[in-house]
Amino acid sequence: MKAVERVDQFYLLKQLPKATALLCKKGIVQDASCSWLEIFGQSLQDKDHQTKIFSLYPEILDLEKKLKEYAPFSLKHKIKSSKGTRHLKSYFAPWFDEKENVIGTIVQTDDITSEVEKEQQIDWLNNVLETKVEVSKTGWWEYEVDKEKLTWCKETKRIHQVPECFEPTVIEALNFYKPGYSRNKASMLFHKVAVDHQPYDAKLMIVTFHDEERWVHITGKPIIENGKAVKVFGTIKDIHDEVMAETKVKENQQLLSTLVDSLPLNVYVKDLESRKILVNKGECNFLNKKAEQLIGKTDFDLYNEETAKIFREEDLQVMKHLTPIIGKETASTVRGKTVYFLTSKIPYFDLDGKVCGLIGMSLDITNIKKKEEQLRNLINITSMQNQKLISFAHIVSHNLRSHSANFSMLLGFLNSEKDPEERKRILKMLSQASDNLLETLENLNQVVDINIKTSETKTPLNLKNNVLKVLENLSDLLEENKSQVINNISENIEVNCVPAYLDSIILNLVSNAIKYKSPNREPLITINAVKSNEGIMLSISDNGLGINLDKYGDKIFGMYKTFHNRKDAKGFGLYLVRNQIEAMGGSITVQSEVDKGTTFNVYFNEES
Amino acid sequence: MFILMKKVNCIFIVDDDPITVFGIKKMLRSVTHCDDVQIFQNGHEAYEAIKERQEKGENIPDVIFLDINMPIMDGWGFLDELIDLDIDEHVVINMITSSIDPADHKKWNSFKDRCPHILNFKNKPIFKIEPADLGCINVAS
Repeated sequence: MKAVERVDQFYLLKQLPKATALLCKKGIVQDASCSWLEIFGQSLQDKDHQTKIFSLYPEILDLEKKLKEYAPFSLKHKIKSSKGTRHLKSYFAPWFDEKENVIGTIVQTDDITSEVEKEQQIDWLNNVLETKVEVSKTGWWEYEVDKEKLTWCKETKRIHQVPECFEPTVIEALNFYKPGYSRNKASMLFHKVAVDHQPYDAKLMIVTFHDEERWVHITGKPIIENGKAVKVFGTIKDIHDEVMAETKVKENQQLLSTLVDSLPLNVYVKDLESRKILVNKGECNFLNKKAEQLIGKTDFDLYNEETAKIFREEDLQVMKHLTPIIGKETASTVRGKTVYFLTSKIPYFDLDGKVCGLIGMSLDITNIKKKEEQLRNLINITSMQNQKLISFAHIVSHNLRSHSANFSMLLGFLNSEKDPEERKRILKMLSQASDNLLETLENLNQVVDINIKTSETKTPLNLKNNVLKVLENLSDLLEENKSQVINNISENIEVNCVPAYLDSIILNLVSNAIKYKSPNREPLITINAVKSNEGIMLSISDNGLGINLDKYGDKIFGMYKTFHNRKDAKGFGLYLVRNQIEAMGGSITVQSEVDKGTTFNVYFNEES
Repeated sequence: MFILMKKVNCIFIVDDDPITVFGIKKMLRSVTHCDDVQIFQNGHEAYEAIKERQEKGENIPDVIFLDINMPIMDGWGFLDELIDLDIDEHVVINMITSSIDPADHKKWNSFKDRCPHILNFKNKPIFKIEPADLGCINVAS
């Protein structure tokens, strides 16, 4: 009966859904459920084949000792087969008989493979998350609204530079924000996300545990259940270096653009097609256009074709051969004004070192040029005056010498001459020589006067009236020679002149026209005056003998140079005229053709 | 003192200053006798006269007194034209000037080299005409 019961019992065991086995005190498997045997790959027990439990748990070395303690315990183990690894958990409990004596051990084994795998996956996910946090340096935090509990992750703590054991309250967390804007803003955002469920995303500044000010990028969003925010979840990222780098870049840009804009230069950057991609204020002002109107434009849109072509050639040279143009003087005409520039063009390279355009810089040197020209004019005037002085000194020395030589010669004759008739003749010659000397001295004096009194005040004189006055004085001479004068000067032309010089100039030129008239024609004198930008030009033309200027051109205004066989030609008038007009800052030119006539053009300098 | 007197057939004085002309004529009278002394106001007149004489086969002047500064054609211009005339005879040309401009002396030097004639340079004042000025050689003294 007992045996049947036992069989029944074992049969019952066999059917248990949970893998279960019974061990005797020696650890030998007495019986087991089919499911248990299946886990361990064992067949049904018989008397010949005894399975010791220890062989089934090869990893658990102290199993035998543990069993002997007759206390319940559990352990994890695994079985490797061709199908993979099965993770198992076995529970060991002592087996009592009716009298509470230990007769063995009850083993139950669970297959925990799927749980272990899930655990591993979670581990892996955690790992991934941690790596992500580490790489992106983005920490997270969580706030449980009910418990008012704030949790920071490791990275969040690292960002705040607090020890890992630090557990902040909300107030403490908010106090990390820099007092002022950052703290106010952070508090406001936190309040809004908790109360109004409004997510946020902001860049603020914190003061870390180590008193370091750092920029952080923070986000927060509510986790809502049943219309109530149960949690707030957020991230924090240290973006200090980026912000600083960005600020640095912005500062550099600011510096660069301030510099480029404030340089007293026209600066522009062109692409490979010579389109402007950057212009500074100077360039905008010069072209009288806004930067937006210049970007993308080429010189062909801004200058005339010819100038633009030259500029494009320069550009190509710089970009193709990478040879910079440094300090080249250029002239360009914009809005009718010629402007001089000292231009430099240098190749512009991209980050890969490939040429991608050029940078141009132009310095407006128009004023310097003007000054240079003034200086050059001054030098010219000075050297001209010096030349005049030298030639005047020669004239003086030559003319005085020739008279004194005559005196010496004649006096020598007189000394040795006995014949009274001859002595009389020599004396006559001497007095003539004396007259000549006086006249020469007078002439020279006149010239010296002109050159000394250059500062003599000029006064505005009506040109026509003055010409008429001179013609009046010359009326006898004009009539005598049957001369005709055509005076085309208009009433209102005024010239700034020394009155005596103007008279002398007109007198000399008109009387010369008559003096050197053609024997074949009655003299015709035409007087014109033209007002132009450069000033007033008086021209006196005749139909007289004319002069071969190729031959005598440079000598016509020289002293004591005469070119026609006339008794009254002294070679002084034109010399005087030129000195007078030049002393007043003007000039005189001559055009002539032999046997056709001569025209003198007098240019008055209007500056006083 | 023996002076080899050469017969001077013709003398030209080219000067626009009547006093100098008077002086030269007077000085000439004491050293030579010449029937053919011609006066010209400027180089152009003298040149035309020589050209005419050459064309007509008449006497070319043996001696010329030449001023430098003259109207119409100055002494240098006259020399230029004279050289171009291709005169076989060696004319004695005395340049007489009051100029002490070194440029004139330099110019004379350059003309002396290319002029086939005898070219003397005399600074005023002159008080006497030397036989050498007339092309006479002083053989003994």
